[in-house]
This record gives sequence, structure tokens and C-alpha cells, in this order.
Amino acid sequence: MSEPVLVVSDLTKKFGALTAVDGVSFEVRPGEILGIAGPNGSGKSTLFNAITRVPFAQTSGIVLFKGAQISNLANNEIAKRGIARTFQRESVFGNLSSIDNVLVTIEQTNRASAFAQKIALAEQALDLVGFPATLHNWQAGRLPVYLRKLVMIAGAVALDPAVLLLDEPASGLTVSEIDKMRALITHLNELGMTILLVEHVLSLLMEVSDRLMVLDQGRVIALGDPATVVANPTVIEAYLGTPA
Amino acid sequence: MSVESFLFVLSGGIVLGALYALMASGLAVVWSTLGIFNFSHGAFIALGAYIGWQVSNAEALGLGHVAGLSATLVVMFAAGILFQQIFIRPFERKDNIIAATVITTLAGATILQNAMLLIWGPRAKQIVAIAEGTISIGPVAFSGNDIALIVMVALILGFAGWLLARTRTGRSMRAVAQNRQAAELMGLNVPLLYALAFGLSAAMAGMAGYFVGSIRFINPTFGADPLMKALIVVIFGGIARFTSPIYAALIVGLVESFTIFYLGLYWAPAMLFAMMTVVLTIKPSGLFGHHQRTL
Repeated sequence: MSEPVLVVSDLTKKFGALTAVDGVSFEVRPGEILGIAGPNGSGKSTLFNAITRVPFAQTSGIVLFKGAQISNLANNEIAKRGIARTFQRESVFGNLSSIDNVLVTIEQTNRASAFAQKIALAEQALDLVGFPATLHNWQAGRLPVYLRKLVMIAGAVALDPAVLLLDEPASGLTVSEIDKMRALITHLNELGMTILLVEHVLSLLMEVSDRLMVLDQGRVIALGDPATVVANPTVIEAYLGTPA
Repeated sequence: MSVESFLFVLSGGIVLGALYALMASGLAVVWSTLGIFNFSHGAFIALGAYIGWQVSNAEALGLGHVAGLSATLVVMFAAGILFQQIFIRPFERKDNIIAATVITTLAGATILQNAMLLIWGPRAKQIVAIAEGTISIGPVAFSGNDIALIVMVALILGFAGWLLARTRTGRSMRAVAQNRQAAELMGLNVPLLYALAFGLSAAMAGMAGYFVGSIRFINPTFGADPLMKALIVVIFGGIARFTSPIYAALIVGLVESFTIFYLGLYWAPAMLFAMMTVVLTIKPSGLFGHHQRTL
């Protein structure tokens, strides 16, 4: 079996007396899609925050990426090493055009030196996520939700990441848009990206995930094959509560 | 009012507007990028004037205007970065950053003003005119210095606009201004970009100080009035775009100039604040405003 690309070990994030992520440990293999589920407030997004150190670092614990510790690096260094992330909300640079949103990312990498090459790479990233070519010069802030999500994902993909952290990419989308998002996630994975996917749309999570991890109150309560995990009584109890 | 008087007041208003545009744009760069109001901007204007005087004037080093302007630009850029590292950076990401930086930038301004007093003394100084003579257009003679100021301010603002719109650093600064977290995730070095934004702002303030120092007497507190005008411009015009404070500055300059002519010098601040109050009442985000901070 190949070495894990990402190892999270005993990761903890505290906000005063509240422990949002409590000693979480897991490994992710190259090319895998690890689904992450859990009730609201279970620490899913905080886990992504602590791994990427945006907007805050972990309180304790270690993150290894390709065998090297990254939990002590600056957040922009973590991104440059190859861990990209999208936000739950469509976090684009609203006053920049769609192509400039992606160009900003390309310019942080060593993927191209000439400006024309950088533009070509930005166009390639937008094409890859299925963003319409006719809208490249539109201000990203004026786009509808689905297209803003595509711009955000294109920006992350433009980093050429080994690991992509997607935080609720299907939130706020229509059924047909969720289908397109499902196809996009699968396509990115086929291109070799390892994906950590936080999602509330369980059907999407079940279909694309190789393994599923469930968090509750900051702790991992189940990890394994998606079908087995969703049948786990502890998981059902976390979502639905204890029968009266 | 004769045509000559009208043109004279108009040209005075445009010169004032150009200077306010330079001051306010520098202030807006920091507000847009870091989300704080820099109360030391007036002290930067004064410091730029003193550095310019020190390098250019015959009574000091006497190296002329090219050396004076270049030294002001470089020293003020570096001073801005140093100031940001000392007075702003320790408070970044703190919950109370806005209140804390009101105090720290005011403290920084006081320190800078007293340092200028120690170094250059209390006696007022003035930078010699950048251009001598007059240029006659029709019946009106314009001061060569005024025309030089307008041209140079236009060049500086044009360069700053090009820097922000067309270069990698500028694009990155605009991205950080709009969404810090997303910028960090895209690999942008946010602390470096914040420092560069502050350096750019201080350099623009310094250049404004140099120009104002060629038409007014320089003393350690002479940045206070320009700071107030820059504040009016930024609030009045909003910061929707890099050009918003520039348009607003021209309006403020013209209103000030015509108010002084018709109502007298002491009515000018009242008129400007009244205008600002009316605009804020009708359009709280400013005349060209917009709720999102951007560059």
C-alpha cells in the first residue's frame, strides 16, 4: 500500500473553554476521496482551518504532508506546498474578473514565467472546472452562486495541488448543479488529486467518497467504508439523537 | 465674477484637488487593504516634506528636485514599512484591531512629529518652487509650479493605478483587500502585501508632502490640515475604486477654492463638512461608494 499523502495526528483546536477539534487523527492515501460528515458544529470546517492554518492554527497536534511536517509553516507556504482549499461560502475576489481570480493564484506558483503562459494556465484551470469561456472577464462578485463556486475551485486547482480540501461545495446549489459538482469532483480525482470533502449532501458524499469519516463534538466517531459508517449506531445517534 | 477670476479660482481648485487626490489615495490604499484608518498619514506628509527639503534645498544638501523627490519616495516607502511593522503588525488579527490602531497610529504620529521637531527644529521651512515663472493661457497666467504639481500628481496617480491594476503585486494587493482568507489559501504572502501597501501609502503621502511643502511652510504639524482634507475626501467619495478618491478630491478642491473666494477662508472647512454630511446622509457608502473594501 502506498504511503499516506496526508497524516493528521492528534489535532486539537480550542477556543477558550470550547474544544472544537479534539485529538483528531487520520491518514489519507494518494488518490483517495475522504468524505467528512457530521452534524453542524461538529468541527469539520475547523478541522480544515487547522490543517491549512487559515484563518487560525491548531492548538496542538501534527500534520504531515508527503512525510514532512507542515503544521509549523506559514499558511501561504502550506498552499504552495500543494494543499489547496475552498470555503463553504463562495469566497472569491469579488471585484476582480474571473480570470484575474485564477491568475492571482497562478502568479504565486512557479508554473509559468511569461504572462501569456500564466493567462493560458488560468484559462486552462477555468476550462477544467467547466467555467464558461464567455464569462472570463466578468467580475466574479456578479456571478451566480454556482459559477462563483467554480471560480473558487479553479483558483484552488490552479495551485496544482496534491491534496484538495473542499468545504461544502454543494451548499446552496440546485439538484442539477449538485450533479455537475459531483461530476467535477470525480473528474478532479481522476486527474490525480487527493480530495478531502466536507459535505452535508449525504448522497453526494456517499457516491464519491472512498472512505467516510464522521465527526461529532470535535471527535472522530466513525471512519471507514461509507456504507458501514452510515449504518453505525453511534453515527445515527449523533445525527438523530437517542430514541426516547 | 469676471472670467479671469473664475479661471483663477478654478485653477486653484484643481491644484488643491490634485494634492488632496494624492493624499487621499494613499490613505485609501491602507484603509482598503488593511481595513484600518491611519492617523499618522498627516505626519507622513510632513516627514516627506522635511526629507524633500533636506535633500533638495540649497540651505541643506542642495541636490535639487530630482534627488529630493527620489529620496522622498524611497525613504518614505521604507519608513512606511517600518512603521507598519512596529505600530500595526502586532495587532493584526486581534478582535479590536480598529480601536487599537487608532491609538497606535495616533501615538506613531506624535512620535514622528516630535522626532521632526528634534531633527529640524521649530523654524518653518519651505521647498523652493519646482518650476519657476508663469504660463499664460488666454487672459489668465498660471503658475509654472502649479502646472508642474498637477502634471506630477497625475503621473504618480497614473503609475499607482497601473501598479494596482496591471502588475502581479497590484493584483495580489487587490485580492488581499477583498478577501484575506481566500488570498492566504491561494498562497499569497499577506504580511508582505500589507507591508507593501503601507509602504506605497507612505510614499504617496511623502510625495504629497513634498508638493505641499513647495507652496506652504513646513512645520512638524503641517500634515494635520491635509490629513483632515484627505479624511473628508475618502469618506465623501467612498473607496469603491482606486479612482473614487481622485474624483472626490477634485470636487473637494473646487468647492474649497470657490468657498474661499465667495464666503471667505474660515467658511471652507464648514462647507466641506456640510457637504460630507449631506452625502453621507443620502449615500452612506460615499458618493462613488460601495460597501466592499477594494482597490
